Amino acid sequence: MSSIEEIKNNAEFLIENLPGTDLPGTAKINVRYKNLVSFAKCFGITNPKYVGSEEEGIVACHAYANAYTIKSLYTLAPGVRLTKNGEERPLIKDPRMILHAGNKYNWEGCVDVKPGDKLTGTAKWGKVWLVEENMMLFAELITTIKNQNDETVCNVVVTAGIRKGGY
Amino acid sequence: MVKISDLKVGQVLKSEFNGLTRDLLKQYAKSSGDTNPIHVNDAVAEAAGLKGVIAHGLFSFGFISKLFEDFLEHGRYGDIIEFTVEMRGMVRVGDLLLTEATIEKIEDKRVTFNIKQTSFTNVEIKDSDGNVVKQFEAGERGYVSEKDIVRGLIKTKEVEEGTLTYRERIAIPGIAVIELFE
Repeated sequence: MSSIEEIKNNAEFLIENLPGTDLPGTAKINVRYKNLVSFAKCFGITNPKYVGSEEEGIVACHAYANAYTIKSLYTLAPGVRLTKNGEERPLIKDPRMILHAGNKYNWEGCVDVKPGDKLTGTAKWGKVWLVEENMMLFAELITTIKNQNDETVCNVVVTAGIRKGGY
Repeated sequence: MVKISDLKVGQVLKSEFNGLTRDLLKQYAKSSGDTNPIHVNDAVAEAAGLKGVIAHGLFSFGFISKLFEDFLEHGRYGDIIEFTVEMRGMVRVGDLLLTEATIEKIEDKRVTFNIKQTSFTNVEIKDSDGNVVKQFEAGERGYVSEKDIVRGLIKTKEVEEGTLTYRERIAIPGIAVIELFE
């Protein structure tokens, strides 16, 4: 376990260096019919708009935004390269320490997600801050998801919490 | 039919879910791509200091979005515009989830709701002599903390087998904005 000074120092480094920067690259997500149905059924959804036949066509339920957002961030985050004091360091030292703190989804002017869509996710860092009471580091990831026609399907701000020892 | 003229500030939408299992978390992990093992592997979760698997923070959010999809009859009467949610309390296998959305504001055809999703975690049932007659996963694995007791989250109620001890806490607070067509 790192010392409190080292943990604070790591937090300050991330607070100074992450906000406003883009996560490198883009994430590609292929939307499959079976996956949309399996996801919707986790919540007991039975409406044919979301779990109907492939031939008649379905759309993703709103909660599916979780799936394409997470897949985007799991793809983009490992590409982040950080150099501290001349040495490369990982963004997250222990992925088990990551927790979801919150999400903001906005669908205004967005189009539905459908089977066969090829989504593209991009993200940049928003605010990053430390709660000293429990040494939890919080970071916002401003994520935009578009389909193959360059139409936005959802704008999501993910807030991740990283427990002490994870950053 | 849902029309703006039928809605009033203070009106509440509600839903309950009482079927959270490890298999469901595995299904969610597979279909969402959120494969963090703390949600599906007890040994990994224990090594991370969590005493057992926890539901994905966004898993229980799905029941919030379903509540509004059902209310709007899947886009027939309006659109979901925005959700802002905070994952505040860990949700465990066996928890009952109560989702409540209270109308806070109505402006033109836009309706803003305060969301509160509460988790109820059963701990144990004791008979009238104080003997434990049933212990739930939370009791076996020690999910209840001193902090829960200090915060007054531990409650009791009489059930058929005796006195049930359970924890009641907010899992997700948040805000939803919808727009109705009429």
